[in-house]
Amino acid sequence: MSRAETQDELYQRAAQEYGAVLSRMAYAYEADPDLRRDLSQELHLALWRSLEKFNGSCSLRTWIYRVAHNVATSHVVRQVRSKRITSAFLTLEDAEARAGVEDIESSTDRNQSLDRLFALIQRLDPLDRQVIMAYLEDLDAESIGEITGLSPENVWSKIHRIKNVLIRRFPRGGRHAL
Amino acid sequence: MPCDELPDNLKSLWKEAGANPSMFTLDQLRNETNRLQAKRRKGQIVLAGSMLLMVIAYGLSLFIFPNLLARVGATLTAAACGYWMIHALIERARQPLDPGETGGVRFYRAELTHARDNCRWMSWRWALLLVPFILFDVGVAEIYSKMWPLIVWFVCFDCALLLAAFAIWAPLKSARMARKYQDCIDALDASSGSGQGHLQQ
Repeated sequence: MSRAETQDELYQRAAQEYGAVLSRMAYAYEADPDLRRDLSQELHLALWRSLEKFNGSCSLRTWIYRVAHNVATSHVVRQVRSKRITSAFLTLEDAEARAGVEDIESSTDRNQSLDRLFALIQRLDPLDRQVIMAYLEDLDAESIGEITGLSPENVWSKIHRIKNVLIRRFPRGGRHAL
Repeated sequence: MPCDELPDNLKSLWKEAGANPSMFTLDQLRNETNRLQAKRRKGQIVLAGSMLLMVIAYGLSLFIFPNLLARVGATLTAAACGYWMIHALIERARQPLDPGETGGVRFYRAELTHARDNCRWMSWRWALLLVPFILFDVGVAEIYSKMWPLIVWFVCFDCALLLAAFAIWAPLKSARMARKYQDCIDALDASSGSGQGHLQQ
């Protein structure tokens, strides 16, 4: 099996197993539909190219998450430069604080809930986005630490905050405060 | 990690979002890679070509304009433009950190630091373009002021415009962007545990 075949096969496996994850990442990093399509393609392209260097030093899942998050983060930094992001990112602390004072709207619509969740994530700092998305993908703290480079304690602290934000903004019964 | 604490089964809702992911064939990816490489090459050719044209244009003006000020201005302008363009070419050739082998925090910090340093690099170097342009303008005005007195007003207007652009607007914008990136770096350091201390190796 040649090197190129291995890369192609790995990509096909990755796209098959993690295509949905990449799609959610594109949503969470880019609100504009046109730019989201570009970002989605950029994620797949970067993944395919990176798999040429994949040597099994970490799991394929960790590799895919790292590549995707890092490429999406570059996208966010470019957006800061092109002035599409004018205000500072929302910190988890701000998100927690605002959940208590902002207007509470009632909604039981699942799509609306999802839109609100994406809207919240799109306002967060890229690092917090990585943690919140990995958490929602059911990754454990150790895996999140491997992807982000954060220590497990730091990951746990962030997850704790993220849970608080989500619970306050998406209370049971469908009343959301985003 | 228990997920049952989360409201309205937020995790299952989250996973519904990727029900129809975009898929790309290998041929599409190869074609896109080729397209991007061609675009990159074209960009480098345009940059290098512009640099060469600038150097040639201002080099020729050394022979066209007999005035010392215009000649000094032309030489310095060619040098300054060349310096900026070489920097732009080096920037384009920069290899970012490997996204597969670098953790999210380190990668994000490196991107921010690079963007900040780039803005800082530009901030005062706008003056490198300003001074030669003004020297050149004044030199040309000296040559043609008797033949066409209005040129003095034109040059005054041009210099005011250049001053506003290169001495005020551009440096301020670069400095503001650098501050913005520095704020992001500070926030990242605070959020990831005071710099690199809490990071995994």
